[in-house]
Amino acid sequence: MNGKPDQRLSRREFVGKIALGAIGAGVASAAGKRLVAAESNPFAYELGNLAKTDPKLIGYEETGRLPALPMPARHLEIGPNNTLFAAAGNSIVSMTRDGARSLEIALGGPARCVAVAADGSIFAGLRDHIEVFDGKGTRVASWESPGPKTWLTGLSVGENDVFAADSGTRVVHRFDRSGKAVGRIGAKNAERNAPGFVVPSPYLAVRIHRDGLLRVNDPGRHRIEAYTLAGDFEGAWGKFGAGIDGFCGCCNPINFTFLPDGRSVTCEKGLPRVKIYTAEGQLESVVAGTESFPENAKVGAGEHDSDASLAGLDAAVDSEGRVYILDLVTAQIRVMRRKGTGEHKA
Amino acid sequence: MKGTREEPVNRRQFVRNAVRGTVVAGLGALVGRLAAGNVARGSVWQIDPAKCVRCGKCATHCVLEQSAVKCVHAYAVCGYCQLCTGYFGPDPNDLTTAAENQLCPTAAIRRTFVEDPYYEYAIDEKRCIGCAKCVEGCNRFGNGSLFLQVRHDRCVNCNECSIARVCDGNAFVRVPADQPYLLKTTTA
Repeated sequence: MNGKPDQRLSRREFVGKIALGAIGAGVASAAGKRLVAAESNPFAYELGNLAKTDPKLIGYEETGRLPALPMPARHLEIGPNNTLFAAAGNSIVSMTRDGARSLEIALGGPARCVAVAADGSIFAGLRDHIEVFDGKGTRVASWESPGPKTWLTGLSVGENDVFAADSGTRVVHRFDRSGKAVGRIGAKNAERNAPGFVVPSPYLAVRIHRDGLLRVNDPGRHRIEAYTLAGDFEGAWGKFGAGIDGFCGCCNPINFTFLPDGRSVTCEKGLPRVKIYTAEGQLESVVAGTESFPENAKVGAGEHDSDASLAGLDAAVDSEGRVYILDLVTAQIRVMRRKGTGEHKA
Repeated sequence: MKGTREEPVNRRQFVRNAVRGTVVAGLGALVGRLAAGNVARGSVWQIDPAKCVRCGKCATHCVLEQSAVKCVHAYAVCGYCQLCTGYFGPDPNDLTTAAENQLCPTAAIRRTFVEDPYYEYAIDEKRCIGCAKCVEGCNRFGNGSLFLQVRHDRCVNCNECSIARVCDGNAFVRVPADQPYLLKTTTA
C-alpha cells in the first residue's frame, strides 16, 4: 500500500546489520565458552584445611635454595664433611652446602639412590644393581644384581655393611663391603616377627640409626619400622591420617632421615610435607608444609614408568641440624634451619 | 634415418593437456578426500589419561543421560592398598566400607579383601557416572591406576563430542575404532 513507509534496507544498512550480528554472535560465543570454563566442579576433590599448616607448628625457615639438579632427581644424602650427594638424572652429583658442584659421576642409566661411607667411598644405586666409586669418582666395582625384579630406591652404608632398599621385591638387601649378599631384611617372617613391607608405590628407604638399629619406612602401613642388622623386627611407630600428626594417603612416609640427636625427619607425597618426630614417634614440629610445595602438590601420577613420576620429597640433614629438602618435581634443594636465633638445635 | 625429434606442442594441445591434467588431479583429490572420510568414520572418541585433569565435566556434559565415560582400573598399576585414596575420602573416620568413609558419590567402587593387608577395588560401571573423583584421589596420593575412558558400548560417537568441547584438559582425542582405548600400562 502506498501509505506504508518503505521498509527496504539499503545495501549499506544490510551489510552493517550483518556485521553487527556477526560481532554479537562472536561475543556471545566467547562469553559462553568463558561461562563453561568458569563452571565449578560439583565433584571436586576437597582437601579442605588438610593442605594448610598451623603456623605454630612450623619450626623451620628456608634460608636458601641450591641450583636445580638434573631431572629426574630422586635421592639426597649427606657425606663426610657435610658434602651433599644427589642421585639425579643419569649421574651422582656432589656439592658443597652452598651448592657449588664438586663432582659429577656419569652412570650408565638413571641414578636412583646414593650412600657415602665415612672413608669417602660412594655407592650408587641404579635400578637393579649397585656401583661403587672412590672419592674421586673412579669406578671401583659393579655389584651383581639381586634379581630381575629389583627396583632399588634406598641405600645406607655402615662400617661393614651396605643396605639396599628394594621396592621391587619389598626387602632390604644386606651386602658386605665387597658386594657379597649376606642377608635379606623385612620379608614376612614369623620367626623374626617381621610383618613384611607393604610398598604400593616405589618408595622404600633404609637408614642406620645412631642406636645401631636399621630404620625402614613401611609406607603401606604408614610407619617407620626398626630392625636389627640381622633382620629381627624390633618395633614401629606411625599412624595413618591426613591430619598433621599422621601419614597421609595410601603410602607414606616415602622417605626419612635423622637429626644429629636421633629424632626423625619424615617426607610425604600427596600432601607434600616434611615433619620432625621424636624417637617415640610423637610429632614435634613441621619443617615445611604442603603450601611450601605447590608444584609438587599439583602433580598427579602419569604413566607408571618411573619412580620419579609420582612426585614427593626427600631430605638430608647436616651435622649442624640443617635440613636439606629435595623436591622431586622441581629438582630443587631447599635449605631449612630451625627458627629463632639462627642457631640449630642439634 | 629420421631422428626422434619431438613435435612442438601447439596452443590447442597445450590447453587440452592442461585440462586433462586438472581433471586427473581433481579426481585424485576427490578419491583422497573420500578415503580420508572413511578413515574419519573409522575413528572414535577417547580420553588421553595423561591429559585428563579430572574437571568433572565428563559426568555433566555427555549427551547421554548417564555419561559414556567411566572409570576403569589398571590392575597392574594398582597397589591394592588398604587405604585406597580412590575409595576412601581424604581423611576417613575408619577404613571400613561405611558410606561416610567412601569418596565415590554413587558408591560405584567395590572393595574386596584379598589378604592382609591387601584389598582389590573394582568399578561397578552401572553406578559409575564418570565424575573422576576417585581418579583424582588415586592420582594425587597413589599410583594413578584409576582413570577415565570413553566406553564404546555406550558412546554414540557424536561428530562433535559435547564433553570434548568443554574438557578443561583438552584430553579428548580421536583414535582408530579398532584400537579404541588408551590404557595405562606399567614397565615396572
